[in-house]
Amino acid sequence: MRDVAIVGVGMTRFGKFLDRSPQDLGLEAVWNAIEDANVPMNKIQVAYVGNALGPQLNELKGTIGQHILTNAGFQKIPITNVENACSSGSSALRLACLEVASGNYDMALALGVEKMYTGDSAKAAAAMASGTPYAKLGFTFVAEYALNLKKWMKKNAVTVEHFAKVVVKNTSNGSLNPYAQFRKPLTIEEVLNSRLIANPLTLYMCSSMADGAAAALVCPKSLARKYSSKPLVEVAACELTSGSFPYPGKAPESTTSRTAKIAYEKAGIGPEDVNVAEVHDAMAPAELKIYEELGFCQEGQGGRMIDEGRTTLSGVIPVNPSGGLAAKGHPVGATGLAQIAEVVWQLRGEAGERQVSNAKVGLTQNQGGLVRGDNGACTVTILKR
Amino acid sequence: MKNLSANDSESGKSKIPVAEGLFHLPSSAEDKPYLIAAKCTQCGYISFPKIPVCPHCAVQDTMEEIHLSGRGKIDSFTIVWSTLPGFEAPSVQSLIKLEEGITIWSLMTGCEASEEALEIGMDVELVIGKVKEDQDHQIVSYQFKPVKNV
Repeated sequence: MRDVAIVGVGMTRFGKFLDRSPQDLGLEAVWNAIEDANVPMNKIQVAYVGNALGPQLNELKGTIGQHILTNAGFQKIPITNVENACSSGSSALRLACLEVASGNYDMALALGVEKMYTGDSAKAAAAMASGTPYAKLGFTFVAEYALNLKKWMKKNAVTVEHFAKVVVKNTSNGSLNPYAQFRKPLTIEEVLNSRLIANPLTLYMCSSMADGAAAALVCPKSLARKYSSKPLVEVAACELTSGSFPYPGKAPESTTSRTAKIAYEKAGIGPEDVNVAEVHDAMAPAELKIYEELGFCQEGQGGRMIDEGRTTLSGVIPVNPSGGLAAKGHPVGATGLAQIAEVVWQLRGEAGERQVSNAKVGLTQNQGGLVRGDNGACTVTILKR
Repeated sequence: MKNLSANDSESGKSKIPVAEGLFHLPSSAEDKPYLIAAKCTQCGYISFPKIPVCPHCAVQDTMEEIHLSGRGKIDSFTIVWSTLPGFEAPSVQSLIKLEEGITIWSLMTGCEASEEALEIGMDVELVIGKVKEDQDHQIVSYQFKPVKNV
Protein backbone atom coordinates (compact mmCIF):
# COMPACT_ATOMS: atom_id res chain seq x y z
CA MET A 1 0.00 0.00 0.00
CA ARG A 2 1.16 3.54 -0.76
CA ASP A 3 1.40 6.37 1.78
CA VAL A 4 -1.47 8.82 1.29
CA ALA A 5 -1.52 12.59 1.77
CA ILE A 6 -4.35 15.09 1.97
CA VAL A 7 -3.31 17.66 -0.60
CA GLY A 8 -6.29 19.97 -0.26
CA VAL A 9 -9.37 20.66 1.85
CA GLY A 10 -12.31 23.02 1.54
CA MET A 11 -15.67 23.66 3.11
CA THR A 12 -18.62 26.02 3.18
CA ARG A 13 -19.65 27.87 6.27
CA PHE A 14 -22.15 25.75 8.23
CA GLY A 15 -25.53 27.31 8.94
CA LYS A 16 -29.09 27.86 7.85
CA PHE A 17 -29.08 28.66 4.14
CA LEU A 18 -32.65 28.32 2.90
CA ASP A 19 -31.71 29.55 -0.58
CA ARG A 20 -28.84 27.07 -1.12
CA SER A 21 -29.15 23.59 -2.64
CA PRO A 22 -26.96 20.52 -2.01
CA GLN A 23 -25.45 21.10 -5.49
CA ASP A 24 -24.58 24.67 -4.64
CA LEU A 25 -23.04 23.73 -1.26
CA GLY A 26 -21.12 20.81 -2.75
CA LEU A 27 -19.73 22.92 -5.58
CA GLU A 28 -18.31 25.49 -3.17
CA ALA A 29 -16.62 22.87 -0.96
CA VAL A 30 -15.16 20.93 -3.92
CA TRP A 31 -13.75 24.00 -5.66
CA ASN A 32 -12.36 25.34 -2.38
CA ALA A 33 -10.50 22.03 -2.00
CA ILE A 34 -9.30 22.15 -5.61
CA GLU A 35 -7.96 25.67 -5.15
CA ASP A 36 -6.39 24.76 -1.82
CA ALA A 37 -4.61 21.78 -3.41
CA ASN A 38 -3.60 23.68 -6.53
CA VAL A 39 -4.59 20.55 -8.48
CA PRO A 40 -6.10 20.91 -11.97
CA MET A 41 -9.69 19.69 -11.73
CA ASN A 42 -9.19 17.20 -14.58
CA LYS A 43 -6.55 15.37 -12.50
CA ILE A 44 -9.29 14.13 -10.14
CA GLN A 45 -9.94 10.53 -11.13
CA VAL A 46 -12.45 9.17 -8.62
CA ALA A 47 -14.94 10.54 -6.06
CA TYR A 48 -16.86 9.39 -3.00
CA VAL A 49 -19.74 11.51 -1.76
CA GLY A 50 -21.11 11.24 1.78
CA ASN A 51 -24.70 12.28 2.36
CA ALA A 52 -27.19 10.89 4.88
CA LEU A 53 -30.58 12.59 4.74
CA GLY A 54 -30.88 13.78 1.14
CA PRO A 55 -33.31 11.05 0.09
CA GLN A 56 -35.66 12.14 2.88
CA LEU A 57 -35.21 15.90 2.90
CA ASN A 58 -34.13 17.05 -0.54
CA GLU A 59 -35.80 17.24 -3.89
CA LEU A 60 -33.24 14.92 -5.46
CA LYS A 61 -33.61 11.49 -3.89
CA GLY A 62 -30.82 9.54 -5.54
CA THR A 63 -27.31 9.69 -7.08
CA ILE A 64 -26.80 12.92 -5.15
CA GLY A 65 -23.02 12.74 -5.65
CA GLN A 66 -23.39 12.60 -9.42
CA HIS A 67 -25.84 15.52 -9.38
CA ILE A 68 -23.48 17.63 -7.29
CA LEU A 69 -20.30 16.76 -9.17
CA THR A 70 -21.70 17.08 -12.69
CA ASN A 71 -22.95 20.50 -11.62
CA ALA A 72 -19.39 21.22 -10.44
CA GLY A 73 -17.96 20.32 -13.86
CA PHE A 74 -17.11 16.63 -13.54
CA GLN A 75 -17.90 13.92 -16.07
CA LYS A 76 -17.03 10.27 -16.70
CA ILE A 77 -15.15 9.58 -13.47
CA PRO A 78 -16.38 6.86 -11.06
CA ILE A 79 -18.60 8.45 -8.40
CA THR A 80 -19.95 6.46 -5.48
CA ASN A 81 -22.44 7.64 -2.89
CA VAL A 82 -21.71 6.82 0.75
CA GLU A 83 -24.33 6.72 3.50
CA ASN A 84 -23.14 5.98 7.05
CA ALA A 85 -25.40 8.37 8.98
CA CYS A 86 -23.37 11.06 10.82
CA SER A 87 -20.11 9.39 9.79
CA SER A 88 -20.85 9.45 6.05
CA GLY A 89 -18.21 12.12 5.35
CA SER A 90 -15.32 10.33 7.05
CA SER A 91 -16.46 7.02 5.52
CA ALA A 92 -16.19 8.67 2.09
CA LEU A 93 -12.67 9.86 2.96
CA ARG A 94 -11.66 6.34 3.95
CA LEU A 95 -12.72 4.98 0.56
CA ALA A 96 -10.89 7.77 -1.27
CA CYS A 97 -7.75 6.95 0.76
CA LEU A 98 -8.04 3.26 -0.11
CA GLU A 99 -8.30 4.06 -3.82
CA VAL A 100 -5.01 5.96 -3.60
CA ALA A 101 -3.24 3.63 -1.16
CA SER A 102 -4.06 0.64 -3.35
CA GLY A 103 -2.55 2.28 -6.41
CA ASN A 104 -5.87 2.27 -8.21
CA TYR A 105 -5.90 6.06 -8.70
CA ASP A 106 -3.58 8.99 -8.05
CA MET A 107 -6.09 11.70 -7.14
CA ALA A 108 -9.30 11.01 -5.23
CA LEU A 109 -11.99 13.35 -3.96
CA ALA A 110 -14.05 12.87 -0.80
CA LEU A 111 -17.04 15.16 -0.38
CA GLY A 112 -19.61 15.35 2.41
CA VAL A 113 -22.77 17.36 1.96
CA GLU A 114 -26.00 17.84 3.86
CA LYS A 115 -28.96 20.15 3.37
CA MET A 116 -31.15 19.98 6.51
CA TYR A 117 -32.98 23.32 6.62
CA THR A 118 -35.91 23.00 4.27
CA GLY A 119 -38.44 25.11 6.15
CA ASP A 120 -39.73 22.06 8.03
CA SER A 121 -37.55 21.31 11.06
CA ALA A 122 -39.90 18.60 12.36
CA LYS A 123 -39.31 16.69 9.14
CA ALA A 124 -35.54 17.02 9.60
CA ALA A 125 -35.80 15.79 13.20
CA ALA A 126 -37.83 12.78 12.06
CA ALA A 127 -35.34 12.07 9.27
CA MET A 128 -32.44 12.06 11.74
CA ALA A 129 -34.16 9.46 13.94
CA SER A 130 -35.38 7.38 11.02
CA GLY A 131 -32.18 5.33 10.77
CA THR A 132 -33.25 3.42 13.87
CA PRO A 133 -36.29 1.12 14.13
CA TYR A 134 -37.03 2.70 17.52
CA ALA A 135 -37.97 6.02 15.91
CA LYS A 136 -41.49 4.65 15.43
CA LEU A 137 -41.62 4.00 19.17
CA GLY A 138 -40.69 7.56 20.11
CA PHE A 139 -36.90 7.20 20.34
CA THR A 140 -34.81 10.36 19.98
CA PHE A 141 -31.02 10.65 19.70
CA VAL A 142 -30.81 13.36 22.36
CA ALA A 143 -32.58 11.04 24.80
CA GLU A 144 -30.23 8.19 23.89
CA TYR A 145 -27.23 10.39 24.70
CA ALA A 146 -28.98 11.55 27.89
CA LEU A 147 -29.63 7.98 29.07
CA ASN A 148 -26.03 6.92 28.59
CA LEU A 149 -24.48 10.14 29.91
CA LYS A 150 -26.66 10.04 33.01
CA LYS A 151 -25.31 6.59 33.90
CA TRP A 152 -21.78 7.67 33.06
CA MET A 153 -21.86 10.91 35.08
CA LYS A 154 -23.14 9.06 38.14
CA LYS A 155 -20.35 6.49 37.89
CA ASN A 156 -17.62 9.09 37.40
CA ALA A 157 -18.81 11.92 39.66
CA VAL A 158 -19.29 14.22 36.69
CA THR A 159 -21.78 17.07 37.07
CA VAL A 160 -23.86 19.25 34.75
CA GLU A 161 -21.30 22.00 35.40
CA HIS A 162 -18.68 19.80 33.72
CA PHE A 163 -21.09 19.40 30.81
CA ALA A 164 -21.59 23.15 30.58
CA LYS A 165 -17.83 23.76 30.65
CA VAL A 166 -17.47 21.71 27.45
CA VAL A 167 -20.00 23.98 25.74
CA VAL A 168 -18.26 27.09 27.09
CA LYS A 169 -14.95 25.86 25.65
CA ASN A 170 -16.44 24.84 22.30
CA THR A 171 -18.51 27.98 21.79
CA SER A 172 -15.45 30.06 22.69
CA ASN A 173 -13.51 28.19 19.97
CA GLY A 174 -16.46 28.50 17.57
CA SER A 175 -16.55 32.27 18.07
CA LEU A 176 -13.10 32.35 16.41
CA ASN A 177 -14.14 30.15 13.46
CA PRO A 178 -15.60 31.92 10.42
CA TYR A 179 -17.03 28.56 9.23
CA ALA A 180 -19.08 28.00 12.43
CA GLN A 181 -22.88 28.26 12.53
CA PHE A 182 -22.88 29.81 16.03
CA ARG A 183 -20.26 32.41 16.89
CA LYS A 184 -21.48 33.60 20.27
CA PRO A 185 -19.44 32.39 23.25
CA LEU A 186 -21.73 31.09 25.99
CA THR A 187 -21.34 31.15 29.78
CA ILE A 188 -21.93 28.25 32.16
CA GLU A 189 -25.11 29.98 33.35
CA GLU A 190 -26.43 30.46 29.81
CA VAL A 191 -25.84 26.79 29.04
CA LEU A 192 -27.46 25.51 32.23
CA ASN A 193 -30.38 27.93 31.99
CA SER A 194 -31.23 27.11 28.39
CA ARG A 195 -34.30 24.91 28.07
CA LEU A 196 -34.14 21.22 28.89
CA ILE A 197 -34.28 18.86 25.90
CA ALA A 198 -33.78 15.59 27.77
CA ASN A 199 -32.50 15.70 31.36
CA PRO A 200 -29.69 16.51 31.97
CA LEU A 201 -29.10 17.86 28.46
CA THR A 202 -30.08 21.45 27.74
CA LEU A 203 -30.53 23.11 24.37
CA TYR A 204 -27.03 24.59 24.20
CA MET A 205 -25.44 21.21 24.93
CA CYS A 206 -26.97 19.78 21.74
CA SER A 207 -25.60 20.30 18.26
CA SER A 208 -27.86 21.99 15.75
CA MET A 209 -28.94 20.81 12.36
CA ALA A 210 -27.19 22.72 9.59
CA ASP A 211 -26.60 23.03 5.87
CA GLY A 212 -23.05 22.62 4.66
CA ALA A 213 -20.42 20.74 2.73
CA ALA A 214 -16.76 19.83 3.19
CA ALA A 215 -14.24 18.15 0.89
CA ALA A 216 -10.75 16.69 0.81
CA LEU A 217 -8.44 15.69 -2.02
CA VAL A 218 -6.08 12.79 -1.46
CA CYS A 219 -3.11 11.61 -3.49
CA PRO A 220 0.03 9.53 -2.97
CA LYS A 221 2.41 11.24 -0.55
CA SER A 222 5.07 11.15 -3.27
CA LEU A 223 2.87 13.21 -5.61
CA ALA A 224 1.60 15.85 -3.19
CA ARG A 225 4.62 18.10 -3.59
CA LYS A 226 4.04 18.29 -7.33
CA TYR A 227 0.92 20.37 -6.67
CA SER A 228 1.05 21.99 -3.28
CA SER A 229 3.78 23.88 -1.50
CA LYS A 230 1.85 23.84 1.78
CA PRO A 231 3.03 21.66 4.69
CA LEU A 232 2.39 18.07 3.73
CA VAL A 233 -0.32 16.28 5.74
CA GLU A 234 -0.14 12.50 5.67
CA VAL A 235 -3.00 10.12 6.46
CA ALA A 236 -1.42 7.83 9.05
CA ALA A 237 -4.69 5.91 9.57
CA CYS A 238 -8.33 6.18 8.56
CA GLU A 239 -10.24 3.35 10.21
CA LEU A 240 -13.90 2.39 10.39
CA THR A 241 -15.80 -0.10 12.53
CA SER A 242 -19.43 -0.92 13.26
CA GLY A 243 -21.13 -1.82 16.55
CA SER A 244 -20.79 -4.90 18.72
CA PHE A 245 -23.30 -6.88 20.74
CA PRO A 246 -22.11 -8.25 24.09
CA TYR A 247 -23.57 -11.09 26.11
CA PRO A 248 -26.11 -10.15 28.78
CA GLY A 249 -24.30 -8.77 31.81
CA LYS A 250 -21.07 -8.03 29.92
CA ALA A 251 -20.07 -4.39 29.60
CA PRO A 252 -20.44 -3.13 26.03
CA GLU A 253 -17.20 -2.17 24.28
CA SER A 254 -17.22 1.39 22.97
CA THR A 255 -16.98 1.68 19.19
CA THR A 256 -14.76 4.73 19.66
CA SER A 257 -12.26 2.83 21.85
CA ARG A 258 -12.19 -0.07 19.43
CA THR A 259 -11.73 2.10 16.35
CA ALA A 260 -9.09 4.28 18.04
CA LYS A 261 -7.08 1.24 19.07
CA ILE A 262 -6.99 0.01 15.46
CA ALA A 263 -6.06 3.49 14.19
CA TYR A 264 -3.27 3.98 16.77
CA GLU A 265 -1.79 0.60 15.89
CA LYS A 266 -1.92 1.27 12.18
CA ALA A 267 -0.38 4.73 12.56
CA GLY A 268 2.23 3.61 15.08
CA ILE A 269 1.13 6.61 17.12
CA GLY A 270 -0.29 6.62 20.64
CA PRO A 271 -2.84 8.96 22.24
CA GLU A 272 0.02 10.68 24.08
CA ASP A 273 1.40 11.79 20.68
CA VAL A 274 -1.81 13.52 19.55
CA ASN A 275 -1.55 17.33 19.59
CA VAL A 276 -5.05 18.30 18.41
CA ALA A 277 -8.36 16.49 17.94
CA GLU A 278 -11.78 17.05 16.46
CA VAL A 279 -14.36 14.71 18.04
CA HIS A 280 -18.03 13.92 17.58
CA ASP A 281 -19.72 16.01 20.27
CA ALA A 282 -23.23 15.73 18.79
CA MET A 283 -24.23 16.36 22.40
CA ALA A 284 -21.28 18.38 23.74
CA PRO A 285 -21.01 16.56 27.11
CA ALA A 286 -20.21 13.32 25.27
CA GLU A 287 -16.83 14.91 24.54
CA LEU A 288 -15.76 14.11 28.14
CA LYS A 289 -16.41 10.41 27.63
CA ILE A 290 -14.65 10.53 24.26
CA TYR A 291 -11.46 11.89 25.97
CA GLU A 292 -11.40 8.64 27.91
CA GLU A 293 -12.31 6.42 24.97
CA LEU A 294 -9.54 7.94 22.83
CA GLY A 295 -7.02 7.53 25.65
CA PHE A 296 -6.42 11.27 26.16
CA CYS A 297 -6.87 10.53 29.87
CA GLN A 298 -7.51 7.57 32.14
CA GLU A 299 -11.03 6.23 32.58
CA GLY A 300 -12.94 8.40 35.03
CA GLN A 301 -10.76 11.48 34.39
CA GLY A 302 -12.91 13.14 31.69
CA GLY A 303 -14.37 15.69 34.12
CA ARG A 304 -10.92 16.57 35.41
CA MET A 305 -9.70 17.20 31.85
CA ILE A 306 -12.20 20.02 31.40
CA ASP A 307 -11.75 21.34 34.98
CA GLU A 308 -8.04 21.69 34.39
CA GLY A 309 -8.47 23.25 30.95
CA ARG A 310 -6.35 20.56 29.33
CA THR A 311 -8.44 20.58 26.12
CA THR A 312 -8.68 24.35 25.53
CA LEU A 313 -6.85 25.94 22.59
CA SER A 314 -3.80 26.47 24.80
CA GLY A 315 -4.13 23.18 26.69
CA VAL A 316 -1.95 20.09 26.35
CA ILE A 317 -4.40 18.43 23.95
CA PRO A 318 -6.80 20.95 22.39
CA VAL A 319 -10.09 19.26 21.45
CA ASN A 320 -12.58 20.70 18.99
CA PRO A 321 -10.69 23.89 18.14
CA SER A 322 -13.27 24.44 15.39
CA GLY A 323 -16.03 24.68 18.00
CA GLY A 324 -17.05 21.07 17.49
CA LEU A 325 -20.49 20.04 16.40
CA ALA A 326 -22.11 22.10 19.16
CA ALA A 327 -20.81 25.45 17.85
CA LYS A 328 -19.94 24.66 14.25
CA GLY A 329 -23.29 22.98 13.49
CA HIS A 330 -23.89 19.40 12.41
CA PRO A 331 -24.84 18.93 8.75
CA VAL A 332 -24.55 15.21 9.29
CA GLY A 333 -23.00 13.98 6.02
CA ALA A 334 -20.51 16.87 5.95
CA THR A 335 -19.38 16.75 9.58
CA GLY A 336 -16.65 14.10 9.24
CA LEU A 337 -14.90 15.95 6.43
CA ALA A 338 -15.23 19.32 8.18
CA GLN A 339 -13.34 17.73 11.09
CA ILE A 340 -10.66 16.68 8.60
CA ALA A 341 -10.47 20.18 7.10
CA GLU A 342 -10.01 21.69 10.57
CA VAL A 343 -7.23 19.28 11.54
CA VAL A 344 -5.44 19.84 8.20
CA TRP A 345 -5.56 23.62 8.77
CA GLN A 346 -4.33 23.16 12.35
CA LEU A 347 -1.41 20.97 11.24
CA ARG A 348 -0.47 23.43 8.51
CA GLY A 349 -0.70 26.41 10.88
CA GLU A 350 -3.53 27.99 8.86
CA ALA A 351 -6.26 28.06 11.51
CA GLY A 352 -6.13 31.78 12.19
CA GLU A 353 -7.31 32.99 15.59
CA ARG A 354 -8.08 29.46 16.76
CA GLN A 355 -4.65 28.05 15.81
CA VAL A 356 -3.16 25.70 18.40
CA SER A 357 0.59 25.83 18.81
CA ASN A 358 2.88 23.59 16.81
CA ALA A 359 0.60 20.61 16.23
CA LYS A 360 2.28 17.71 14.40
CA VAL A 361 -0.28 14.94 14.91
CA GLY A 362 -4.05 15.39 14.70
CA LEU A 363 -6.97 13.03 15.17
CA THR A 364 -10.63 13.03 14.17
CA GLN A 365 -13.38 10.83 15.61
CA ASN A 366 -16.75 10.69 13.85
CA GLN A 367 -19.62 8.37 14.75
CA GLY A 368 -23.04 7.71 13.33
CA GLY A 369 -26.29 5.89 13.68
CA LEU A 370 -27.74 3.55 16.27
CA VAL A 371 -28.03 -0.12 15.44
CA ARG A 372 -29.23 -2.55 18.10
CA GLY A 373 -28.06 -0.30 20.90
CA ASP A 374 -24.62 0.53 19.50
CA ASN A 375 -23.18 2.94 16.91
CA GLY A 376 -23.81 2.03 13.31
CA ALA A 377 -20.41 3.36 12.30
CA CYS A 378 -17.40 5.01 13.88
CA THR A 379 -14.28 6.32 12.16
CA VAL A 380 -11.00 7.48 13.65
CA THR A 381 -8.51 9.24 11.37
CA ILE A 382 -4.96 10.16 12.33
CA LEU A 383 -3.15 12.83 10.33
CA LYS A 384 0.47 13.89 10.71
CA ARG A 385 2.78 16.43 9.16
CA MET B 1 -46.54 17.58 36.93
CA LYS B 2 -47.82 15.58 34.05
CA ASN B 3 -48.94 12.01 34.64
CA LEU B 4 -48.28 9.46 31.92
CA SER B 5 -51.27 7.14 31.91
CA ALA B 6 -50.90 3.40 31.35
CA ASN B 7 -54.64 3.12 30.71
CA ASP B 8 -55.69 3.91 27.15
CA SER B 9 -59.09 2.22 27.14
CA GLU B 10 -61.05 5.47 26.98
CA SER B 11 -60.59 6.40 23.32
CA GLY B 12 -62.54 3.48 21.74
CA LYS B 13 -60.17 3.39 18.76
CA SER B 14 -58.80 -0.01 17.73
CA LYS B 15 -55.23 -0.81 18.72
CA ILE B 16 -52.53 -1.59 16.21
CA PRO B 17 -48.94 -2.48 17.10
CA VAL B 18 -46.26 0.03 16.14
CA ALA B 19 -44.21 -2.80 14.58
CA GLU B 20 -44.65 -6.52 14.03
CA GLY B 21 -42.52 -9.07 15.85
CA LEU B 22 -41.58 -6.93 18.85
CA PHE B 23 -44.21 -7.89 21.40
CA HIS B 24 -47.41 -9.83 21.94
CA LEU B 25 -50.49 -7.61 22.00
CA PRO B 26 -53.00 -9.17 24.44
CA SER B 27 -56.48 -9.79 23.10
CA SER B 28 -58.18 -10.10 26.50
CA ALA B 29 -57.61 -9.27 30.16
CA GLU B 30 -56.33 -12.81 30.84
CA ASP B 31 -53.96 -12.72 27.89
CA LYS B 32 -50.61 -11.31 29.08
CA PRO B 33 -48.22 -9.24 26.98
CA TYR B 34 -44.63 -10.34 26.42
CA LEU B 35 -41.57 -9.23 24.48
CA ILE B 36 -40.41 -11.40 21.59
CA ALA B 37 -36.67 -12.07 21.64
CA ALA B 38 -34.29 -14.72 20.36
CA LYS B 39 -31.79 -16.82 22.29
CA CYS B 40 -28.86 -18.76 20.89
CA THR B 41 -29.21 -22.46 21.66
CA GLN B 42 -25.40 -22.84 21.54
CA CYS B 43 -24.03 -19.91 23.53
CA GLY B 44 -27.03 -18.37 25.30
CA TYR B 45 -26.76 -14.92 23.67
CA ILE B 46 -30.10 -13.12 23.85
CA SER B 47 -31.22 -10.48 21.37
CA PHE B 48 -34.21 -8.15 21.56
CA PRO B 49 -35.56 -7.47 18.99
CA LYS B 50 -34.98 -11.00 17.75
CA ILE B 51 -32.38 -11.63 15.06
CA PRO B 52 -31.89 -14.73 12.91
CA VAL B 53 -28.12 -15.26 13.30
CA CYS B 54 -26.04 -15.27 16.51
CA PRO B 55 -23.15 -12.75 16.17
CA HIS B 56 -21.00 -14.76 18.58
CA CYS B 57 -21.41 -18.26 17.10
CA ALA B 58 -21.57 -16.85 13.56
CA VAL B 59 -23.47 -19.81 12.17
CA GLN B 60 -27.09 -19.99 11.04
CA ASP B 61 -30.03 -21.72 12.72
CA THR B 62 -28.99 -21.40 16.35
CA MET B 63 -31.33 -18.56 17.35
CA GLU B 64 -34.63 -19.65 18.84
CA GLU B 65 -37.56 -17.38 19.66
CA ILE B 66 -38.12 -16.81 23.36
CA HIS B 67 -40.57 -14.66 25.32
CA LEU B 68 -39.10 -12.30 27.88
CA SER B 69 -40.70 -12.02 31.32
CA GLY B 70 -41.24 -8.28 31.10
CA ARG B 71 -39.86 -7.72 34.61
CA GLY B 72 -36.82 -5.58 35.16
CA LYS B 73 -35.25 -2.54 36.77
CA ILE B 74 -34.63 0.99 35.55
CA ASP B 75 -31.00 1.25 34.42
CA SER B 76 -31.31 4.88 33.30
CA PHE B 77 -34.14 7.30 32.52
CA THR B 78 -34.58 10.78 31.12
CA ILE B 79 -37.45 13.23 31.00
CA VAL B 80 -37.74 14.19 27.34
CA TRP B 81 -39.09 17.67 26.63
CA SER B 82 -38.52 17.65 22.90
CA THR B 83 -40.09 14.66 21.15
CA LEU B 84 -40.72 13.71 17.54
CA PRO B 85 -43.91 14.98 15.86
CA GLY B 86 -46.98 13.10 17.11
CA PHE B 87 -45.41 11.94 20.38
CA GLU B 88 -46.31 13.29 23.81
CA ALA B 89 -44.02 15.74 25.60
CA PRO B 90 -42.81 15.59 28.23
CA SER B 91 -42.32 11.87 28.12
CA VAL B 92 -39.94 9.47 29.79
CA GLN B 93 -37.44 7.36 27.87
CA SER B 94 -35.49 4.69 29.71
CA LEU B 95 -33.02 1.86 29.57
CA ILE B 96 -34.50 -1.18 31.31
CA LYS B 97 -32.36 -4.02 32.58
CA LEU B 98 -34.53 -7.11 32.23
CA GLU B 99 -34.48 -10.18 34.49
CA GLU B 100 -32.90 -12.08 31.61
CA GLY B 101 -29.84 -9.80 31.83
CA ILE B 102 -30.25 -7.71 28.69
CA THR B 103 -30.78 -3.95 28.71
CA ILE B 104 -33.31 -2.49 26.31
CA TRP B 105 -34.58 0.96 25.37
CA SER B 106 -38.20 1.75 26.26
CA LEU B 107 -40.72 4.49 26.85
CA MET B 108 -42.02 4.66 30.44
CA THR B 109 -45.64 5.03 31.39
CA GLY B 110 -47.79 4.91 34.53
CA CYS B 111 -45.67 7.50 36.29
CA GLU B 112 -45.13 11.22 36.61
CA ALA B 113 -42.82 12.69 33.98
CA SER B 114 -40.43 13.99 36.63
CA GLU B 115 -36.96 13.26 37.94
CA GLU B 116 -38.37 12.80 41.44
CA ALA B 117 -40.95 10.14 40.51
CA LEU B 118 -38.43 7.60 39.29
CA GLU B 119 -35.10 6.22 40.35
CA ILE B 120 -32.42 3.98 38.94
CA GLY B 121 -32.93 0.43 40.23
CA MET B 122 -36.71 0.83 40.55
CA ASP B 123 -38.71 -2.32 39.71
CA VAL B 124 -40.70 -2.02 36.49
CA GLU B 125 -42.98 -4.25 34.45
CA LEU B 126 -44.05 -4.51 30.84
CA VAL B 127 -47.31 -2.97 29.66
CA ILE B 128 -48.62 -2.35 26.18
CA GLY B 129 -49.61 1.27 25.81
CA LYS B 130 -50.36 3.97 23.30
CA VAL B 131 -47.45 5.84 21.76
CA LYS B 132 -49.34 7.73 19.06
CA GLU B 133 -52.77 8.00 17.50
CA ASP B 134 -53.93 8.33 13.94
CA GLN B 135 -57.47 9.03 12.80
CA ASP B 136 -58.73 5.49 13.31
CA HIS B 137 -56.18 3.76 15.51
CA GLN B 138 -54.28 3.84 18.71
CA ILE B 139 -50.74 2.91 17.79
CA VAL B 140 -49.46 0.85 20.70
CA SER B 141 -46.03 -0.35 21.73
CA TYR B 142 -44.29 -2.07 24.58
CA GLN B 143 -43.58 0.25 27.50
CA PHE B 144 -42.57 -0.17 31.13
CA LYS B 145 -44.29 1.09 34.27
CA PRO B 146 -43.18 1.14 37.89
CA VAL B 147 -44.34 -1.83 39.95
CA LYS B 148 -46.43 -0.41 42.76
CA ASN B 149 -45.09 -1.52 46.12
CA VAL B 150 -47.94 -3.00 48.15
